[in-house]
Amino acid sequence: MSWKQILLALAGFGVVIGALIVAGAVPSDALQTVIQKALTTPAGWRDILRETTPLLLLGCSVFLALKAGLFNIGADGQFVVGAMASVAVALQNFGPLTIPLAIVVGTLAGGLWALPVGLIKAYRGGHEVITTIMLNNIAFFLSVFLVKGVLKDPESQSPTTAYIAEAAKLPNLVQNGPFRLNIALLFAIAVALALWWYLKRTVGGYELNATGANSKAAKFAGIQIEKVIVRSMTTSGAIAGLAGALQVLAYENRFYSGFSPGYGFDALGVALLAGGSPLALLGSGLLFGIIGKSTTVLSLTGVPKGLSFILLGILVIVFASFRYRKEPSHD
Amino acid sequence: MTHAVQMIGITKLFGSVEALRDVDLTVQSGHIHAIVGENGAGKTTLMKVLYGAHQASEGQIKLNGEPVSFRDSKEAIAAGIGMVSQHYSIIPELTCLQNLVLGAEPGPVISYAAAESRANELAKQMGFQFNWHEEASEISPSQGQKLEILKLLWRNAKILILDEPTAMLAPDDADLLYAKLHELTEQGATVLVVTHRLPEVMEHCDEVTVLRGGKLIDSCPVSQTNPAELAEKMVGQAVTEHSPIPCNPGETLLAVRNLVVKGDKGNDAVKDASFELKSGELVGIAGVDGNGQRELFYALMGTRHSSGEIYLGNQNLTNASTAERIQAGIRLIAEDRHNEAVIEDWSIADNAILGLQRTNRVLAGRSINRNTQAELAKNVTETFPTKFDNVNQRFRDLSGGNQQKVVAARSLQESPQVVLAFQPTRGIDLYVAGLVYDGLIKATREGATVLVVSFDLDELMTYCDRILVMNHGEIAEVPAELRQDRSAIGRMMVGAE
Repeated sequence: MSWKQILLALAGFGVVIGALIVAGAVPSDALQTVIQKALTTPAGWRDILRETTPLLLLGCSVFLALKAGLFNIGADGQFVVGAMASVAVALQNFGPLTIPLAIVVGTLAGGLWALPVGLIKAYRGGHEVITTIMLNNIAFFLSVFLVKGVLKDPESQSPTTAYIAEAAKLPNLVQNGPFRLNIALLFAIAVALALWWYLKRTVGGYELNATGANSKAAKFAGIQIEKVIVRSMTTSGAIAGLAGALQVLAYENRFYSGFSPGYGFDALGVALLAGGSPLALLGSGLLFGIIGKSTTVLSLTGVPKGLSFILLGILVIVFASFRYRKEPSHD
Repeated sequence: MTHAVQMIGITKLFGSVEALRDVDLTVQSGHIHAIVGENGAGKTTLMKVLYGAHQASEGQIKLNGEPVSFRDSKEAIAAGIGMVSQHYSIIPELTCLQNLVLGAEPGPVISYAAAESRANELAKQMGFQFNWHEEASEISPSQGQKLEILKLLWRNAKILILDEPTAMLAPDDADLLYAKLHELTEQGATVLVVTHRLPEVMEHCDEVTVLRGGKLIDSCPVSQTNPAELAEKMVGQAVTEHSPIPCNPGETLLAVRNLVVKGDKGNDAVKDASFELKSGELVGIAGVDGNGQRELFYALMGTRHSSGEIYLGNQNLTNASTAERIQAGIRLIAEDRHNEAVIEDWSIADNAILGLQRTNRVLAGRSINRNTQAELAKNVTETFPTKFDNVNQRFRDLSGGNQQKVVAARSLQESPQVVLAFQPTRGIDLYVAGLVYDGLIKATREGATVLVVSFDLDELMTYCDRILVMNHGEIAEVPAELRQDRSAIGRMMVGAE
């Protein structure tokens, strides 16, 4: 660690303290609250791990696209679409097939939602940031339309679906007092490991990395960059769709208007913070999970929730400015 | 006689790297003074110090006897110094006139009528002709070079620095350029030319300064030296002439018939080209830059659509993908190294298999055979003498010349059938350039065929078994008896014959 990084860490710490003071909290009290209520209690860890699951998966989604040179701002929309498709399946009874089917359909739906983005980017040159933002809006309003219409629980006053049946819920792996560890988190970890293997070990991953790093050189190296772009965008969407399905089946057990609190955008931070290695996603996903839970705890003591978004924003900007700085090239 | 420029004891450090060490340069007013040396000798750095683009770490500069010190190029321009860099600074989207005034506009509001009349005056003085309202993307490289010189005159430069001014010009255009430079010096201007073309120095320049490894080796009137002596001083050892290895062409390996390739502007950049390359021969394509060489290579590599037929042996590659062509044995030394040949943020080892990632020995199931990769990483760095720390080092951290050596060496891996080499020796010094050509020739003698594009006719005449000429997208072969006739080939390059 260089002195620059140490200085940076200190500065970051200063910003956090400063922000807390501005927000009207005593920093030491705030820290104590976080430790006592979030970091040292089984219930705190239950929520941290629950929060980590979608963040890690969506982080994988954004990370994969990023490696192929695509900025997937649309993970949030793909997440919503995946969740919506999954809940539509899970509300039916397919016997023991209900869970697998709901997962597969959610994953496919996320992938399909991203497919046009890949096609437009690869064959028409339309920028993925624009198309994904548009599709986010479409996904959001479509979901609102559906939960107010055909998917609406007739019993409920608010725009929400009914809860899925007990048999359609993903089981907890560990259940100990208030502590829960759902199997969904293992899915997420498995996806991160698979991503690492794919990107670091396979020729497909090599070609994907090449496309993202220098698409022209990739083309001259015989890589069909259009196909790589379509494939990685679709896979990125599929992972986001999987996150949506798991969110329904493991945690929320229903779909409602405003389903995503913006996980897809936090995931940009998760992916950027992970830097080069897919394994680092495990760490950055957990960190964002902890920050998420800490914010909830702090909001009970009067610190506004927006503070964590400011904090995350600063974190990502500082990190990105270090990691993605331009370097001169030789001639 | 006055000294237009005196640079005394110039030392320039980039971090801890010494680019120039205690270099003296004296240029007499009204002379054309050549600065020669190999790549990395410090020629361009020295000129940039004079131009104010770099600040000397030590040393003094005098113009006409007066000490000066430039904090940036703006101050150097104000003092009457102008520089045309190797890579033109013309912006293709602007008109010629806009390019001319760019950076030296007469005021916040530009009167194009007034600018045009002065532009015409300058052009007339030099005997150039310009359609000032034409977009700069439309003009030829030689027009571009002329425009760059007019830009200097527009800024009232009295000391002109030209970095490799003839690199993109046909021999006749180069002669014409020097004739104009002589006219300028007669009117009191002083010209500094950075070049590596010794015939040009002997023919057109008054004095010559040789740099090697950032140090001054010699400075003398051109009349007192000769090309062999200059070459020896540049390289630091006697330069052995390349002795041709007899060529015994075998069967036709690559056959191209009626190839038509579109250029960026929708024109036919390659027009109905047909040629054959035989196993065992090194074939050069001579021509001025921008006559379809680039598009021809794109089409042969399969990265640009073309019509016509391309056969490798009896395998029809006309509609094959780039990957299939690589699999069939076609290799490329790409023109634009940064953008087409490598990924600079990757390690040498990862770049060693770029393009070869799906060839038989590299691909193991779905993954990459790490042993083969390690072997290739070793080969690409050891085929030619390459300075590097280890193969996990980032490619970006290699110097330009060393990067080029790795790229050239990579094209010779995994049994190439056809090597397409676009300026394979760009940025590498004479000695290693010879080694690269030896490597290419060795590959041909082992049964491959090599097609080289170079804008340096002397290089092609030295090494190639046959020479094709490309002019406005048309390919013609230089008759065997004219292969050593520089001016005849030069005329073919511009379509004068």
